[in-house]
Amino acid sequence: MDQRKPEYLTPALVAGAASGVLSGIPLVNCLCCLWIIGGAALAARMLAARTDGGLTAGDGAIVGALTGIVATLVRAIMEIPFRSLNLEFARRLMEWTTQFADDMPSGWDGLLDRGAGSSPGLFFLGLFLTAAVFAALGVLGGVIGVSLFGRKRVPPPPPRPETGPPHAV
Amino acid sequence: MTAVETPPRSGDPAGTVRALLFLSLLGTLLWLAAIFLAPGLESRGSSRSAGFLYALFSPTCHQIPERCFSLRGYPLAVCGRCLGVYLGFLGGLLAYPFARGFSRLELPRARTFLLFSVPIGVDGLAGILGLWASPIGLRLATGSLWGTILPFYFITGVAELVVSRKARARARLSPGARQAVKTAVEKPPAKSVE
Repeated sequence: MDQRKPEYLTPALVAGAASGVLSGIPLVNCLCCLWIIGGAALAARMLAARTDGGLTAGDGAIVGALTGIVATLVRAIMEIPFRSLNLEFARRLMEWTTQFADDMPSGWDGLLDRGAGSSPGLFFLGLFLTAAVFAALGVLGGVIGVSLFGRKRVPPPPPRPETGPPHAV
Repeated sequence: MTAVETPPRSGDPAGTVRALLFLSLLGTLLWLAAIFLAPGLESRGSSRSAGFLYALFSPTCHQIPERCFSLRGYPLAVCGRCLGVYLGFLGGLLAYPFARGFSRLELPRARTFLLFSVPIGVDGLAGILGLWASPIGLRLATGSLWGTILPFYFITGVAELVVSRKARARARLSPGARQAVKTAVEKPPAKSVE
């Protein structure tokens, strides 16, 4: 049985960066937590491709959690240029929606302005909490990925037919 | 496609599964409480606290008010579909002991996962493609269905990880290993040949 430890970092970095970017782009980020779960599943698939032998659910959990943490950091960086664009997009969407919906909740316009200005302390607290949530979502995605893409343990190869002479008695 | 069974581990995982279930239940209840607390605080005029809660959920949900249920005139902190996923997750956690017990670490079959994912996938994809705009109740229902299967991955994955780490730590500290370490430590250093 192969006892090598799976290489978690590279799949987590690649998939985490991809899901972090996608979850930070306006309009594309409407898919909520799907990017993180999907990214972690992708990381598990990459891990399965790179690892000899089978993966366990625990391997999926580790690579998924790492993917979620990487995605948090990438998303935080992505948010800097897109923050004003996100707010503008949300405001236009709301204005468009109110033309068709009469029962919009009150105070929705005020909700958009939240988070526009925040202290560094709140920023890091938010980053920490987001990392925790993304790591949990990543664990889910990683384990689902192992379930869908993880290879079974490779069975031992069949014994080679003996070509040499039989043992002399 | 078949279920991925985790390899057998030494020791009973029941204690770990129980602890994980309890912690996950607690966390999910707190998470759901925060979702409902945000509009409650907003309606009482605590805009700063409500704003923090809304901001907390913003990385995981688009929070478009039209797609959110509202409480006291203010939208919940997540959309109807996300609320469904979290409620379904809670339901899955409650169902876990009856469906799996505490001692069996086994992931669901891939086709079971696909079966639970088809409704939310079709509904979401149709919405993105503009084929139809599903009512918020349907979003809640498809989200709930999908959320129900998720604890069976989460609990199994984390429990398997914890159990295997414990087993590895035990193996490191087994009597044989300890004796070997002790012998190696107590062995006098070899004298250099003069």
